[in-house]
Amino acid sequence: MEKSIEIIWKEGFLNKDALVAPKLNDLYNQKSKHIIDKYMRMFKINLVAIVVGSLILLPGSFLIGMPYMGVPMFFILNAMVIVDKRLLGELKEIDNNITSYEYLKTFDKWIKRKIIVNTRMARILYPYTFIAILMGFWFINEDGNRLGETIVTKLIENYPDIYLIFGIPLTGIIGALMIIGILTFFGGRIYRWDMNLVYGRVLRKLEEIISDMEELRS
Amino acid sequence: MSSDFYKTSILPFAAIIIKICRAYTNTQEDFEDYYQEVCLQIWRSKDNFREQSEWSTWIYRLSLNVCLTLLKKKKNKYQHFASDYIPVELAEDNRAFADEPLNQLYDAIRQLSEVDRGVILLYLEEKSYQEIADIIGTNPNNIGVRIKRIKERLKRLFDGKIN
Repeated sequence: MEKSIEIIWKEGFLNKDALVAPKLNDLYNQKSKHIIDKYMRMFKINLVAIVVGSLILLPGSFLIGMPYMGVPMFFILNAMVIVDKRLLGELKEIDNNITSYEYLKTFDKWIKRKIIVNTRMARILYPYTFIAILMGFWFINEDGNRLGETIVTKLIENYPDIYLIFGIPLTGIIGALMIIGILTFFGGRIYRWDMNLVYGRVLRKLEEIISDMEELRS
Repeated sequence: MSSDFYKTSILPFAAIIIKICRAYTNTQEDFEDYYQEVCLQIWRSKDNFREQSEWSTWIYRLSLNVCLTLLKKKKNKYQHFASDYIPVELAEDNRAFADEPLNQLYDAIRQLSEVDRGVILLYLEEKSYQEIADIIGTNPNNIGVRIKRIKERLKRLFDGKIN
């Protein structure tokens, strides 16, 4: 080596062309694309998991003798998938040619709309699931009798003065109605908690990028 | 990031960022990504600057940290697709400085370990051992020995390239 590394370093950078800073331009486009791709990927995996789950649940429920749970659950889960698939379709229609800020804002609006739609659905889904499970157990065949009726018979034997409505104990009806009421009331919150658990990190990142870009634009 | 902040607080120190980013990348595309990410992180972290060191020293530290993190992320990303990943030190640099010896020096620097790259860049930028140790987060007593070893390795790499 003829020159020391120190001299090569100094002389090399005497030429100012060696230190031309690149333009700051594409970073946010790449970040936006990355974050949206990540969300879409997770969302699609989630939908596939629900469909696969419902396809296992349906024959499985017949096998364990709980078709009254399996069939309604199969329908509600697939109804959810259809609604979400439509929402996903709307997302794909967003014009890619708009600026990354506009794209992110549109995506953010879409997410908020999805959360509103899914929150409404969750208020039905959770009580519906509870009713389906209840029906599943009620209609389990036990020695030729329905499990629910067997339980009621035993209850009447032990508490002969129990008040019945259409052959079902009133306390049981009140208890079930209370659970349904609670699930309807908290369904939206449960969904938001669930959503935050799965997508929280991506959504926070999205908010962070939007806020950065807003600061940039101001 | 406001363009004022970029012009007044980053652009005067762009040379530092460019020099560091060049040592951790081997394509113009990666270099531009790293440069932009460093600038973005400087802007985001500007409120954390405590004035315990020079602004330029802080930029050195931040640039090195960002480059090391990006390099690690890139390696993790490709660890399951080993055939797609070409380590920086093995890939041919498709950019070139006008000064050929400088190109060769950078080629040699890119073959060093990630930390050694940082140490030698700071040494070449005439940072004191204490400053290098502060930026890298090591003991200043070890820096001198480390630099001696790095220079010997560079000389071997450099001579090999010329020969």
